[in-house]
Amino acid sequence: MNERLPISEIWVYLSGDPLFALIITLATYQLGYILYVRANRNPIVNPVAISVVLTCLIISALNMPYEKYFEGAQFVHFLLGTATVALAVPIYNGFRRMKGKIFHMWVALTAGSTVSIVSAVAIAQWMGASNNMVGSMYAKSVTAPIAMGIAERINVSPTLTAVFTVITGMLGAILAPYILNALKVQQWWIRGTAIGVGAHGLGITRAFSVNEEAGIFASMAMGLNGVISAIGLPIVLTHLRPYLGI
Amino acid sequence: MIEGLVQLFLWQGLGELASKFLLPSIPGPVLGLIFLVVFLIIKGEVNEPLGQVADSFRQHLGLLFVPASVGVVLFLPELQTHALAVSTALIVSVILTIGVTAVVLKVFWYFSLKFGKGQRHE
Repeated sequence: MNERLPISEIWVYLSGDPLFALIITLATYQLGYILYVRANRNPIVNPVAISVVLTCLIISALNMPYEKYFEGAQFVHFLLGTATVALAVPIYNGFRRMKGKIFHMWVALTAGSTVSIVSAVAIAQWMGASNNMVGSMYAKSVTAPIAMGIAERINVSPTLTAVFTVITGMLGAILAPYILNALKVQQWWIRGTAIGVGAHGLGITRAFSVNEEAGIFASMAMGLNGVISAIGLPIVLTHLRPYLGI
Repeated sequence: MIEGLVQLFLWQGLGELASKFLLPSIPGPVLGLIFLVVFLIIKGEVNEPLGQVADSFRQHLGLLFVPASVGVVLFLPELQTHALAVSTALIVSVILTIGVTAVVLKVFWYFSLKFGKGQRHE
């Protein structure tokens, strides 16, 4: 290349390339992850939240429309489905350990996910949030990859659902030890299960760092909760929607 | 690594097919997950490559929903208007979810130890 390209042209070329969106996504996540490890895996320093905030700042500073960003980032996004299938492994590993507890787990999971959905939707609606917001509360307690799949089926915004899911995970991971101690829950498997239902991905990481049994039960609870919700929510909603007016 | 990914893609593909033709209300990947769990139960073990890939997915699951979450830029004004409602709903709901799940399990487990037969004690 003899002629020197003006910097703006290089920029036009780069920003049109899917690689650019991929680099922002991965680099900000990497940065978030390094900070997270440095902070002794404190759930407040969430790598996903850091990555999302930084990426939002970068693309708004560059005036890059979200659609343009997503064209590149979709390659990461695509793997969500595959990651969902991979949840089969922790569920299977958990099954082997929960002999004699299957029925208990089932009841507790159903109770937990019902409470999670009903409370979030009721409070949001009661406090006057828009339909968009209320709708995205339905799947927020399910692990994000499954939550977004559900959101698409029940015609609510997958984006807001993902955002609420990430916030729920952070809140749950931060609050869970206090809630469980206040309730005097000592058994690791019960603590793990509660964290898996309430705080999904991030909660699991936290649970694993405290106790292995808690981590395994948390992973399984998260996976099962996702499966129950994915099967149940669309069915329940199609019957309830006319009454809810959403 | 590749071996494990290929397995996951195949189960995912099977799930997508089943979702398209048999059970359209359930997302394909969830069906793929269910198929794989059944397969693992029948087989009785997780093969090494699959376990490795599943582990790395679990560790960095968060990265995968960054692209979708960035879409929040489209909703910022709406979120600001409803910030109080949304944050109250999320916080209260998380506390209730974790609390209720733990209490139900605890109470239930207590009764089954007391009245049940031959449950192993923890």
